[in-house]
This record gives sequence, C-alpha cells and structure tokens, in this order.
Amino acid sequence: MQQAVVAEDVRRAYGDTVALDGVDLTVEVGEVFGLIGPNGAGKTTLVRALTGTTDAEGRVEVLGAPPRSVDRERIGLLPQEFSPPERLTARELVAYYGGLYEEARPVDSVLADVGLEDDAETWYEKLSGGQKRRACVATTLVNDPDLLVLDEPTTGIDPAGRRALWSLVERLADGGTTVLLTTHYMEEAETLADRVGLLAGGELVAAGTPAELVAEYGGEPRLEVTVEGDVRAATAALESAGYRAVETRGGLAVGGIAAREIGDVAGALDDGGVPYGALAWTQPDLEDVYLALTGTGVGSGGEPVDREAEPADAGTPATTTVRTGGDRQ
Amino acid sequence: MSRSGRIRAEATAATRSFLRRRTAVFFTFFFPVLLVLIFGVVVRTGGTGGGLFALPPAYYVPGYLAVVVLFTPLSRVGSEVARHREGARFEKLATTPLGRAEWLFAQTLVNVGVIGLAALLIFVLVVAATGANVVLGARTLLVVPYVFLGVVLFCGLGAVLGRVADSQDGVIAASNGVALPLLFLSETFVQPELLPGWLPVWASPLTYFSRGVRAATYDPAGGSVAPNLIVLAALAGLLFAAGAVAIPRTD
Repeated sequence: MQQAVVAEDVRRAYGDTVALDGVDLTVEVGEVFGLIGPNGAGKTTLVRALTGTTDAEGRVEVLGAPPRSVDRERIGLLPQEFSPPERLTARELVAYYGGLYEEARPVDSVLADVGLEDDAETWYEKLSGGQKRRACVATTLVNDPDLLVLDEPTTGIDPAGRRALWSLVERLADGGTTVLLTTHYMEEAETLADRVGLLAGGELVAAGTPAELVAEYGGEPRLEVTVEGDVRAATAALESAGYRAVETRGGLAVGGIAAREIGDVAGALDDGGVPYGALAWTQPDLEDVYLALTGTGVGSGGEPVDREAEPADAGTPATTTVRTGGDRQ
Repeated sequence: MSRSGRIRAEATAATRSFLRRRTAVFFTFFFPVLLVLIFGVVVRTGGTGGGLFALPPAYYVPGYLAVVVLFTPLSRVGSEVARHREGARFEKLATTPLGRAEWLFAQTLVNVGVIGLAALLIFVLVVAATGANVVLGARTLLVVPYVFLGVVLFCGLGAVLGRVADSQDGVIAASNGVALPLLFLSETFVQPELLPGWLPVWASPLTYFSRGVRAATYDPAGGSVAPNLIVLAALAGLLFAAGAVAIPRTD
C-alpha cells in the first residue's frame, strides 16, 4: 500500500521545551489516522511538521514530496486555532478559499457537506461556535484534497454537529481521501480512525488499530457495582468468591469479568447478604488506553489519579483504595 | 486557478473585509481630512515670515497626501499580518497555492484603491479649503504613480512591522513610531531649511515622494519629477520584496 505520510525521527524544540522527540509515523493512502494525546503532547506541532508550517528536524514526506514541495492542490489543512476573516459570509469564505485553487468544488456542494446551506449568507462572526468550526472545515474541503489534515475539527461542535462531521469524514474516507486528524474525543478517534497514534511528551508511545491498542493497553472488561450497604463487606464477599474487587467512589469495580459472568457476581453479592443498586458492565475502550499510557487520569471528583499506583488491569478511573482479590484469570 | 485568479480571490476577500469594518473605513478617510482642516484651515501661519506653515498652501499638498500614503498602508497591512497570525490564517494559506508575494500584492491592490480614493479626496479638499494654487495639467497626473509606489513601499514596510510586532496593538504602536518621524522629517510639512543639516532626510523614502509630488504640483518647487520617481520605484520594489519575505509561513 502507498504511504500518504511518512515521518521519520521528527524532532522539534522551542527553546528548552521539546515538542517532538523522534516521532516515526506512517499514514497509508486512503487511511484515517487519529492522533490523540494530552494537551501539550505535541499533536499540533506534529501536524505543523507534516504540513511544513514549522521547522522540524527529521524526514517528512507528504504525498511523496517534502511538505513544502508538495502539490498544494492536493492537501487541505484545518489548523487548530484557525479563525478566518470574520466579516465574510459562509458562502464568501468558501468561495474565497476556492479561488486559491486551480479546481474548486461548487460552493453550494461544500456548504451542504458541512450543513451550512441555510446559513450561507451569514457573516462568519455571526455564526454559532459549532457553525464556525464547520465553516472552517468547509474551507479545507473546497479543493477536494487527497490528504485532509484536521487539527481538532470537532472542538466546540455540539454532539449532533459532531456526528454529522463524522459522517462527512467517513464519506470522504470511503471516497479514498486520506485523513489525519487530532482529537481529544476518544469516541471520535475510535469511531473514525483506522489507526490511532498516541502522543505523550513529544513521543509516539503507541500506534495501531483501536482494537489492537485496547487489547494491548486497555485492560480487562469490568463490572461496576453500586453498593448500597457496607462496601467492605461487599468486597469481602466478592473476594471470597474469587473475584478481584476494587473499591470506587460509588461502590466496587470487579475486574476480568466476562458478560456471561455478571449473574455469578450478583449471586456472590446475594450470598454475602450485600445489598446493591446497579450493575454496569463495561468493556475497555480507547479512553482506558489513553489513561494507561499517559500516566495520569482525572478522577470522577476532578482530582488527578496516579495511574502508576493502580494495577494496569483494574481500569477504574476513580480508585481510592486498591484491594486485590482472588485470581479469576 | 491562475496567479491572477488567486490574487483576485484574496483581494476580493480583503476588500469585503475592509469595507465591512465601518469604523476603519470612516477613519481611513476622516483622519487626513481632519489634518487638512486643522493645519490648512485652522492653523494658518502663512504671512508671519517664518516657522511652520509659512509657505503657500500648495507647498503642503505632498504632506497631506503623505499622511494617507504613509499611515494607512503601514497600519492596515501590519494589522492584517497580525490578524492573520493570531487566526492561524498564514498556517492555512501556507498549504494553499497562494504565495506570500501574491498575498501581499493583493493586499497592496486593496490599499491602492482605498488610498487612491482618499488621496483624491484630500487633493480636492486642500484646493477647496485652503485655496492652494496647485499645478493642474498633464504633469499633475504624475501624482498617480507616486501614490501607487508610495503605497507599495509602505505596504511592504507594514508587512515587516506585522512580522516584527507580536500583536495588533504592537503593530499600531510600531507603525506610529515609524510613521511620525518619517512624516515630519521628510520634507513634507517642514521645509528643509528648518531641519538641521546633519539630518539624513535622504534616508527617508518619503522624501522622494514629497519632492516628486511637489515637483508635479507646485510651480516654485522646480526640480525634475523623474529622478525621484525612479528612486521611489527602486525603494518600493525593495520594501515590497522584504515585506513578502517577512510574511510568516511557519509558527
């Protein structure tokens, strides 16, 4: 398969601050690649390195050429903090950027793609936050690019708008467009991306399909138990039945539980005489991968949780104490 | 889209953006008008035998024109560069076929249109309000290339200031800091005899604008129009190139 983007040992520092520390990355033609990572991880710097808008060390090739030599008719970029001229209408804005290319798509078609047909004559500054971001996305579609680079395209967009944009990206990908996007929304990366790369501290610490990443770093399925009685008694009841129970703010989390075992856990609680309210079974997802690999997460109360202090397979975002029960693996 | 198409797209967007900022439009025209009214009508020291504004009103036509030719491009292009930087617009444009020189040329065209209109307004106002006895004839048309080249030159300088300053406020402060000394030390409002001999007025590009426009519009000035035009053209080319290079394409 051909590679749309190749980055080898890409480095970029701002003074003493290292933004990119030897990043290697490839994006195949037609692939949707999602970049995730905490604020300051280097996502935007990497996007800039790949689009030639920052001076980075290392080797970068985009569509077979160095970023600054690539045929600009073939790429589309949405910078993270992009703010176009505010007193142009959505239609004028799309027409303006379309006018910069040899061949541009019809303005109405682009506006329809981002759901702005009805607001085409509204000045950009009068659009809502989500509409503004969609108008910005429209400016990247106007040349029908082979490679689309979107730096946090759905930030500030409401859930319905976000899903509409996801559909658009999926349609573009189905049509063969290569998409590289950064996002803070794990669901977005998991939904859209064929492969996901996780940046932390300027390094690409993991890359693979969402399923591969979840399998390798996400931990186990778990059952959240809302305990209405004594949590310690509940923990003891589960441990005596051979389950590994971890105390959480709302009750317990039981790790390594398959869906078919939910009834067994409920039975163990009943046997121990422990009243409980709800059982919620969850599979690990990309967010668990993110939290596991970035080292810190945020507890449900908002306070940082040191992931190093937890067993990697516990997968509980708000653990205050850890009790290890019998091994059910 | 061809180069001319790209420039047209950029210039159209820039024109619309400017015309829709009513305050900016108003003061672009009002500021020089105010200056004409203050110095040409209210402060009339002619006939006192010396000092500022002691010469016939036509002598000061280049000065009034210089106000718009100097201030407007500096602040407008400088601010536009700052706005583009703050909005990551250059980052976006760097991935489009629009080149830096094309961008600056488009902005310059918009300024040529705006400042051309303002200059015409000032010219008429000076004649009407101060009774300036300017030369009217074919030679007067030479003011047009002077205004054009002056705008090109200061658009280039504005782009440099936009690059150097880190915000729109910074651009305004920097352009005022550059423009005010240039305006008064370039044979515009202050005749050379009143300036110290050591002052290198030749180093100011506005000097060649003043001398050329004066030669074209004010009979007693004498002198030739062409040499000043050539120098101004050379400086305009230099500053435009510097401005194009200064336009950022990276972070």
